[in-house]
Amino acid sequence: MSTTVQPDTNPAFAGYAHPEVLVTTQWVADHLDDPNVRILESDEDLLLYELGHIPGAMKLDWETQMQQPVKRDFVDKAGFEKLASERGITNDTTVVFYGDKNNWYATYGFWLFKYYGHDDVRVMDGGRAKWEAEGRPFTREVPKVEPTEYTAKDPDGSIRAFREDVLKHLEQENPALVDVRSPQEYTGELLHAIGYPQEGAQRAGHVKGAVNVPWGTAANEDGTFKAVDELRRLYGEKGITPDKPVIAYCRIGERSSHTWFVLKYLLGYEDVRNYDGSWTEWGSLVGVPNAVGNEPG
Amino acid sequence: MLDRQEYIEIILDHYEHPRHKHRMEDASVQLGGGNPGCGDLITVYLKISDDGKIEQASFEGEGCTISQAGGSIITELIEGMTLDEVKALGKETMIEEIGEDAVKSRVRCATLALGTAQAAVDSYIKTKRSSDEGIDAGPVVERFEN
Repeated sequence: MSTTVQPDTNPAFAGYAHPEVLVTTQWVADHLDDPNVRILESDEDLLLYELGHIPGAMKLDWETQMQQPVKRDFVDKAGFEKLASERGITNDTTVVFYGDKNNWYATYGFWLFKYYGHDDVRVMDGGRAKWEAEGRPFTREVPKVEPTEYTAKDPDGSIRAFREDVLKHLEQENPALVDVRSPQEYTGELLHAIGYPQEGAQRAGHVKGAVNVPWGTAANEDGTFKAVDELRRLYGEKGITPDKPVIAYCRIGERSSHTWFVLKYLLGYEDVRNYDGSWTEWGSLVGVPNAVGNEPG
Repeated sequence: MLDRQEYIEIILDHYEHPRHKHRMEDASVQLGGGNPGCGDLITVYLKISDDGKIEQASFEGEGCTISQAGGSIITELIEGMTLDEVKALGKETMIEEIGEDAVKSRVRCATLALGTAQAAVDSYIKTKRSSDEGIDAGPVVERFEN
């Protein structure tokens, strides 16, 4: 944690394992001019930032800025350093993410920053919708920042799973593997979320042994995270418990970054990894164990 | 060709100041469409003249910037077109209107209004043909992408 930017001590966060990673809309409003804070907006809707954003916030687009354009991967270490530098972020900056749809892509950005070892990253609880519902200001002015010197750490492999890791994970007796896609994708009825192109994998269904806890069930209607007791029950009753190593996946690793955030930071699970290859990769692999229907298989 | 920022300005202008966004009580055909999973919904209304042209087009809806801007752009574009001309439009039309970036990134959102308008035309043709032949084709009021 940054030594200069105090955490949000809102009592609503007290029950979470790591309350320091959440801030309220009011905390953000109070830190709009804090030079040690950089607010980043990451949305699913491609043009929400352009429509208006929190004053001082900068855009981090998941598709064009967090990913490499040719190789299927996140930006590499040098690419991440450039991304941070261009946004005026130093290694000591407190980075606060917010976005649309329950902070779906905000947690994706959070995951990427943690992957490259950024110390102080936080998420604005409730995201863009809560800020808007409270009548807080938006602007179209894009801040001009001086590029910084930023040195990323080596990628943190402990929060990311590759397909080999999933295969090894499945060798355990009761592997905790959580598929966070919609029930229709999990059962094999659809290859992608409702309303999106049905493409990306050769087979429909889920990784054999995975249980289904759709990512959005961790959020309240106003986009804030559910209380710790509700979250504990939600995952616990499906066998996703803190005593086991857990791997989360979805279609391309974005929805599962939200679940990863909930399990690791709100519930305090020690060993949680995001399999970003996810169903787009797994559903096209030859010879791996799959299942269809409502049961893990 | 416009640059990315110019296309963005067009999309945002149509999103914030939508043209033809109203219900049409005397429409020849109306059709609802949508991507329920991501919350994009559109209803297209068409008034079609006896000689088979789109006399008036309008829409109602809610959802993301691109899907709703698409409603405004498409209803503006198709007024005056023949039904065949509307049916001949495609993804390329949306690329011309809002740019390749937006269409490639969000193809379903970008083509929602167009697809719904074309389905409305199909529905109108089917109903008219049935009516001409004295058959009750029944109403078609929804087109959802699942």
